Amino acid sequence: MATVTVSDVKKDYGSVQVIHGIDIDIEDGEFVVLVGPSGCGKSTLLRMIAGLEEISGGEVKIAGKVVNDAPPKQRDIAMVFQNYALYPHMTVAKNMGFSLHLQKVPKKEIDQKVQRAAEILGLEALLDRLPKQLSGGQRQRVAMGRAIVRAPQVFLFDEPLSNLDAKLRVQMRAEIRELHQRLRTTTVYVTHDQVEAMTMADKIVVLRSGYVEQIGSPLDLYDTPANRFVAGFIGSPAMNFIEGTVQGGAEPVFVGREGETVKLPSKFVGIGSQPATLGVRPEHVSVVPVGTPGSLTAKVMVVEPTGAETLVITRLGPSQITAVSKERQRLQSGQEIGLSFEVPAVHLFEHGTARELRIIPGH
Amino acid sequence: MAIKNNSGRIWLALPLLVLLIISVVPFLWMAVSSLKSLRQLYSVPPQWLPDPATFSNYSKVLFESNIPRYFLNSTIISVGSTALALCFAIFAAYGFARFNFKGKVWAQSFVLVGQMLPTATIIVPLYFVLSYFKLINTYLGLILVYLVLTLPLSVWMLTGYFKSIPRELEEAAIIDGASRLSILFKINLPLIVPGIVAVVLYSFVATWNEFVFALAFATDRSMKTLPIGLAEFSSEVDTDWGAIMAASFIMTVPIALIFLALQRLFVGGVMSGATKG
Repeated sequence: MATVTVSDVKKDYGSVQVIHGIDIDIEDGEFVVLVGPSGCGKSTLLRMIAGLEEISGGEVKIAGKVVNDAPPKQRDIAMVFQNYALYPHMTVAKNMGFSLHLQKVPKKEIDQKVQRAAEILGLEALLDRLPKQLSGGQRQRVAMGRAIVRAPQVFLFDEPLSNLDAKLRVQMRAEIRELHQRLRTTTVYVTHDQVEAMTMADKIVVLRSGYVEQIGSPLDLYDTPANRFVAGFIGSPAMNFIEGTVQGGAEPVFVGREGETVKLPSKFVGIGSQPATLGVRPEHVSVVPVGTPGSLTAKVMVVEPTGAETLVITRLGPSQITAVSKERQRLQSGQEIGLSFEVPAVHLFEHGTARELRIIPGH
Repeated sequence: MAIKNNSGRIWLALPLLVLLIISVVPFLWMAVSSLKSLRQLYSVPPQWLPDPATFSNYSKVLFESNIPRYFLNSTIISVGSTALALCFAIFAAYGFARFNFKGKVWAQSFVLVGQMLPTATIIVPLYFVLSYFKLINTYLGLILVYLVLTLPLSVWMLTGYFKSIPRELEEAAIIDGASRLSILFKINLPLIVPGIVAVVLYSFVATWNEFVFALAFATDRSMKTLPIGLAEFSSEVDTDWGAIMAASFIMTVPIALIFLALQRLFVGGVMSGATKG
C-alpha cells in the first residue's frame, strides 16, 4: 500500500497539450475515481501513473518516490484494462500467475497465491479454462485476479466495467468496492460513468479537457459543486439550469429570461444584481397544483415512471426542468402544472466563469 | 425452396470440381506414370493404368542417379533458409508492427523492392557478390540467396499478424513486468502460430522448387538441388520420362507431408477470448 502524488503533471503530444498541470494527492488505502467526459484526459493520466505513457512535465510519486522515469515493473502497480487483455493462449491460472512466473517465484508459491486470489473472486472452478471459455463477467474477474495475485502497492482500473451489461455492472461495482474494503490497497479508478464514481469513490476527481474541475468526496461534489460543469455532470438525473439575472437586495430573487421568478435563500442576502444561472436538482423540484403561491407554471413534456419514483420532464419558458417525485403522478403531456423549488437547495452560478456563487458568512 | 437450394449447390460444386481436377489430375498422372515402363508411357492410344506396374524407374532414380544427393542438398538448403528467414522475419516484422522509428515507411517499402525485380536482373549482381565472398557452390551461398527471395514477403505477412494482436495485451504484459523479448516470445509468438506456419510453408516450398538461382549458383555436381536434378534426366537426344516422374514423385513427398502435418495449425481462432469489442 502506498500514497500516490501527482503534482503539476502535464502531457503533450507534439504541440497539442492534453493535460494541463494536474495536482492530486491520493492517500494510502484510498479509493480515488477519475471521472469526466470522453477526451478529458482521465485514461491518459492513469496510463502516466502506470508508466505506459511518458510524463511531459511535473512529477508522479508512488510511496514518496518519484517514478517519472521508472518502467512499469519498478512501480509495483497492477492494472485492469477495459478490454480485460487476458492472454488468450494461457489458462486462467497461468494468466493470473504470469507476473509471478516472470519474477521467477517458485511454482508452489505461485500456485498458492493464485489459489488464494481465485477463492477471493470465486474463480476456483475455472482455473483450468481458457479465456475464450469464460463469460464477460468471469473474464473481468480473472483480470482482477491477475492484479490481486501480485499484491501490488497500487491498483489501477481503466474503465473496467464499461463492457459489461447493466446488471452485471452493478454487481461488479459492489464486488470491486468490497474487494477494496478487504484489501485496503490504494486504488485509482477511471470511469466516464458518474454513477460509478459516486457509488465507489472515497474521493472523486472530476476532469474536463485536461483540467481538474473539482476534487472531493462524492457528497461534497453533489452538495457543493464548484461550478456549473460539475453540478451538471454529477447526479442523475442531471441538475436543472435556468438562465437569468439575480436581483440583489434584502430579499434577493432570481428572474429568468421569461420573467419566471424564484425566491433566493437567505444565504444570498447582500448579493449584487448580476446575470447568473440558477441550478436546482430534480429532487428539489416538486409538482404542485397550478397557481400555488410561489410556484412557477410549466408544461408537461414527458412522464417517466420508474416504479419507485416518477420523473416529470417539463418546459418552463426556454428551459427544460425535470422533477423527481416519490408519488405516482397522473399527468398528461401538454398539461399545465405548478413547479415549486425547495428554496434552500438552489445553486447560483456566476455568468461567464460558471463558478458557483456563494456568500461567505460574515461578509 | 429445396430446388433452389440444390441448384445453388451445383453452382458452388461445379467450380470446385473443376479446380479439383485441375490440381489433382497432374499429380495422379505423375504417380501413375512413375510406375510405367518407357514403352507403356509412349503407347498410343495412351494406356491409363500401368500393366504390369514396375518399380524400375524408382530403383534407377534411387540407386543409379545422383538424386539422393540432390535430395539431401535441397533439404539442407530449404530448411536452412526457411529457418533463417523465419528468425529475421519475426524480429523485423515485430519491429515494423510495434515501434515507430524514423524512416519506417521507407524501410517497409524498400523491403519489397527485391521482390519487384525480375529474377534474371539480379542473377549477375548476386553472382558477383557470392563469388567475392567465395560462396558459389556452397550451402551458405544458396541459403543466403534464397533469403532474398523469401524474406520480404515473410516480413510483410508476419507484420500483419503482429498488428492483429491487441496492444492492450502487450501493455498488460508490460505491467506484469515482462521484457520486450518475453512479450515477443511468451505472448505474441504463441498467438501468431498460423502466421508462422504460413511463412514456413511459403518459404520452404519456394526454396524447394526454385530453379533459376540454383542453376546459376550451384554448378558443382555435389551442390545441385532437386529441380536441377530433374532437368538432368532430359537431354538433347532423349528424355527419360519414367525417371522424371519417379523423381518428381519423390520430390513432392516432403511438401505433401509438411502440409499434412501443419494443416491443423492453419486453423485460426487462437486470438478469441483475449479482449472484448
